[in-house]
Amino acid sequence: MKTKLKIRTLCASAAILITAWVCVAGDRPQPTATPPVLTAMQEELDRSMAGISKSEPPDYFISYTVADRQYSEVSGSNGALLSSGDSRARWLEVQTRVGTYQLDDTHKLGDRQPSWTSPGTTMALDSDIPVLRREIWRETARQYRAATEALIKVQTSQQVQVQTAEGNAPDFSREKSHVSIGPHVDITVDRKPWEERVREYTAAFSKSPAVLNSIATFTALGMNQYQVNTEGTKLAFGQVHYRLELYVQSKAPDGMDINRYANFDWLTPKDAPTDKVVFDRIQTMIAETEALDKAPLVDPYAGPALLTGRAAAVFFHEVFGHRAEGFRQKDINEGQTFTSKVGEQILPEFISIKDDPTAASFHGQMLLGNYAFDDEGVPGENVSLVDHGVLKTFLMSRSPLVTVPESNGHGRRQLGFVPVARQGNLIVSSSRTMTDAQLRQKLIELVKAQGKPFGLLIDDIAGGFTFTGRAQPQAFQVLPLVVYKVFPDGRPDQLVRGVDIVGTPLVSLTKIVATGDTPDIFNGYCGAESGSVPVSAVAPAILISEMEVQKKETSTDKPPILPPPAHDPDGHYPGQNNTAENNSQTKGQQP
Amino acid sequence: MKKFSVLALIAAFAIPLSAGVPAHTAPAPSPVAAAAQAAVPATETDQTLHAMHDEMERARTRLQLPGVDKPFYLEYRLMDVDVRAVTASFGSLINSSTTRNRFMSVDVRVGDYHLDSSNFISEDGFQGFLGSTGQVGIDRDYNSLRQDLWLATDQAYKQAVTQMSLKQAFLRSLTKPPEIDDFWQSAPTQQIDPRMDPDWTSRNWEEEARKASEVLKDFPQLNGSRLNYYMVYVTYYLMNSEGTTLRTSRSLAAIEAAVDTQANDGMPLHNFYSLYVSRPADLPNPDAVAKSLTQTGTELNALRESPLVSDYTGPVLFDAPAAGSVLAQMLAPSLSGARPPLSMGSNFDAIMERFGGRSEWSGRIGTRVLPANVTLIDDPTLTEFQGKPLLGNFTIDDEGVKAERITLVDNGVLRNFLMSRRPGPDFLKSNGHARSSNLSDTLPLSSNLFFQASDSLDAEALKKKFIDACHDDGHEWCLEVKRMDNPALSSIRQEDFNDFIGSIAGGLASGERMPLTVYRVYVKDGREEMVRGGHIEGLTLRSLRNILGIGSDSTVSTYMQNPPGGFAGTALGAFGSAQGGIPTTVIAPSLLLDEIEIRGFHGEPRRLPLVPAPALK
Repeated sequence: MKTKLKIRTLCASAAILITAWVCVAGDRPQPTATPPVLTAMQEELDRSMAGISKSEPPDYFISYTVADRQYSEVSGSNGALLSSGDSRARWLEVQTRVGTYQLDDTHKLGDRQPSWTSPGTTMALDSDIPVLRREIWRETARQYRAATEALIKVQTSQQVQVQTAEGNAPDFSREKSHVSIGPHVDITVDRKPWEERVREYTAAFSKSPAVLNSIATFTALGMNQYQVNTEGTKLAFGQVHYRLELYVQSKAPDGMDINRYANFDWLTPKDAPTDKVVFDRIQTMIAETEALDKAPLVDPYAGPALLTGRAAAVFFHEVFGHRAEGFRQKDINEGQTFTSKVGEQILPEFISIKDDPTAASFHGQMLLGNYAFDDEGVPGENVSLVDHGVLKTFLMSRSPLVTVPESNGHGRRQLGFVPVARQGNLIVSSSRTMTDAQLRQKLIELVKAQGKPFGLLIDDIAGGFTFTGRAQPQAFQVLPLVVYKVFPDGRPDQLVRGVDIVGTPLVSLTKIVATGDTPDIFNGYCGAESGSVPVSAVAPAILISEMEVQKKETSTDKPPILPPPAHDPDGHYPGQNNTAENNSQTKGQQP
Repeated sequence: MKKFSVLALIAAFAIPLSAGVPAHTAPAPSPVAAAAQAAVPATETDQTLHAMHDEMERARTRLQLPGVDKPFYLEYRLMDVDVRAVTASFGSLINSSTTRNRFMSVDVRVGDYHLDSSNFISEDGFQGFLGSTGQVGIDRDYNSLRQDLWLATDQAYKQAVTQMSLKQAFLRSLTKPPEIDDFWQSAPTQQIDPRMDPDWTSRNWEEEARKASEVLKDFPQLNGSRLNYYMVYVTYYLMNSEGTTLRTSRSLAAIEAAVDTQANDGMPLHNFYSLYVSRPADLPNPDAVAKSLTQTGTELNALRESPLVSDYTGPVLFDAPAAGSVLAQMLAPSLSGARPPLSMGSNFDAIMERFGGRSEWSGRIGTRVLPANVTLIDDPTLTEFQGKPLLGNFTIDDEGVKAERITLVDNGVLRNFLMSRRPGPDFLKSNGHARSSNLSDTLPLSSNLFFQASDSLDAEALKKKFIDACHDDGHEWCLEVKRMDNPALSSIRQEDFNDFIGSIAGGLASGERMPLTVYRVYVKDGREEMVRGGHIEGLTLRSLRNILGIGSDSTVSTYMQNPPGGFAGTALGAFGSAQGGIPTTVIAPSLLLDEIEIRGFHGEPRRLPLVPAPALK
């Protein structure tokens, strides 16, 4: 029983839909005539503005965004195909802002949580311009009505509630307009070979009796996004992304869930991973799963810890990255951890951090958080967040701060959500580097100096929950998945399980004493207020002088009572040839 | 195509167990270990059946937690669903998809037929890591299904054990625990029908949807339109440890369309069109669909131009299609004889009440509930009526019990309820009416419901009776309802559906109903004039005591049942669509009812858009 494959997220909550954005570098040249959708959008925009701007309250800004999404998915589980299909849909989002740039209908009211979902609607796929215009008109009328009602509430609240300093920040920044008509992208996918592959991959997992359940999912996404607004912006751009995800579930004898996950991402079909590469990965995952099932639990601990590059990347994303998101500094509900710290030393002076959506790759590997324009039509900028340990600025959407009045192109969202400032490619660099061997040596030195029985080596992490709201403690949890005890006396490292990192963000960041010399990359999806967006984080290994860990919350549900049917010595199982009823199962998939 | 989800009724509910005295209590059967599932012949090529059998055999004989009861009942249900769906608007395609999925649901019970772990809602039930239901492989292969069933059975067993102890604790807290059996033991049946392979035909459905919906461009006053083609093939598997094995296939093809607009005073208005047939090949061609859509658009335009209805109480004539819809809405909660779940929470009754889900007939077997000339029959075994197909037809229900023709009301006297294998205060035995959608819990639901009268009036006589009653009441005009609304079909977007349900949900219990096309009929000359903006209040089963006249024009109305949250029949259950809905028919004539209250619109008018709609052509 598969829920749709649980996508590994870096952050808390929110949706599971895959949308991925990568700039297509050097695509086939195509004529860049204005697509009919864009024509319809522009014509209707001009007409709407002429009519609405004369109304009370005035509609000072209108934008139309259409996302034309081609999507293919092939999913398999336990040796069989789960689903296989293509879809194509267009999604229309209309934003009508009433009031002024300083105070408009989107202003957050006191303690009330704003709605993060963006009303939108499906839209016709064909190129009949009058029909497209009619749908845009319908949605504009609806949004204008909702915005005028919201503005009344905002104006009332202004008179009644205390406004904080950041509450006086404008609701909408002023930005330059941009015109860019890029080439249209298409994906053509032959799902048949992938259907065979997902069967084979998951059948390989089933060979291990430790594997309770496995899912393999191949997805292909071709997204063409169009945007026009009353400031003069007119954009059309396309992005393509292919992905293969592998997921296994197991349970230790005490009921603790043991899960392993792997993903492959590529931009063109020729870069798809080969079967050899995937099967090697599968074998690694099986070995890790079996080892973790048998590994002992770790007890609560505070002491030195070494995070490998991938784990460190997730660590920075969670502990630092989310707190650098501009909109959190405005919100009186948020902890506003860093708001007052611009210009201060928040990290050791050998660490610098930037977020650069303009980078398509790092040392030859693709970066998932690459995009040219954010979802508000602002070009993505390479933002220096921390310079030699000093906090410089925040990631910004078009929701400005008093101290940072402009967007830096980080307003992002999953379809169906309102854009807020989100990370893109978070890149951590260090001027105090050591080789891996030296780092390990230093870890052992710290362990001995602190008189601890062992140190921790954390090799793989899943994104955890970050509570940045004021109502919750300033704690974060990052979920280590592969952890070793490292002993000072030279004993071999011991795999353990049941580890959760805890701590307050400011303190843990200041306890980094050294880094490695080889950055590693994590590509994944981050789910937060504006939904799930593709991101990357790049970081070297980091050595932390003191890290606190606690026991992982474990399921109290025991492992299955009976062994797997295929691995039951006492059970009847009709042998290895897995007969399906007939071989033409998947005909009829194409419309 | 969007499926509209009914507002959640799900919470932890409680029934203050007002245990009626059970009409038939069987002596407590002796505890049974699980019997055995039926053998699958080695020549059977369907690997699904082999996998189900082999895993059930293993679970039945070896699945047990130390110190805890073994399961006494195991049940596997699978559903293969192939869907072809196309949506268009004003001649443009919106969506086209072809999908295949397989769903699985496993039920394990501990205890015995008198008291088992089922039919109980607890606040903190067992939360397994994978659950006992979900989506599984579509290859119809042996290996993956056995693995999936293994995990699901394990979870279902653990769930049952937890449920049972919570239930027993709860029962001990009651002064008078119920004596009704939890589960009726039916004779095992085997029915393996040939499997239907999906046949979407060679028709180009995208082109047909475009062509048919294009005609709506001729209606410039429309705001929006949606035309949905929805075709589905389902193969259903049931295997239980008593020896029942079932494999049945069915198909459904539907055209559902909605159009909306605003009147000049801002009132939002809509209309819908629906057609249901059993196979894609039977769907009408685009010209015929275009013709029907033209009618729908014309009717909406007329609605736009018509005056507002004022408050009214008096005789109302429901034309046969409207009568059918009203009966479906009113009768659903009262036809089921199954006992509702026990619950640890509270407010169950209150919530059921709010959504019109309380039975008006429970405990009234043998008393008169309808006029003496009326008979109400539910018959799943019929396949057609007067040449029209009856899509509520089935031969064996979703629990493997043979479908039976049931006389619910006989010349006004209540005789029977629809029953599943869940006994109720009045009846113990199933009569083959257990139905479900997407492997939801089975519930006793109507199939083909016949509302018949032993003396009926032809159209002219009924009209005369109507006018006479109107005149006698001192009215200048009275109201005739030709069609009732169905928000699941007339809403283009989920928000529209939510708005609609929100506006009436409070009143469903008190009999609030939504008519779609209403006409004033003038006493003086019989002239008809369309009116808009009204809703009916207080239309419950009690209103059926005031039937002034019954027509002879029995008409088949086909609709999709959509029982929310596992509770048999609330008024909202009549508002379903082809996606996930359960095909059902009502066969009813025109009905003339007295003392019906229709209230006009008394709210604030909604603003019109500031900019008029751009031209469509």
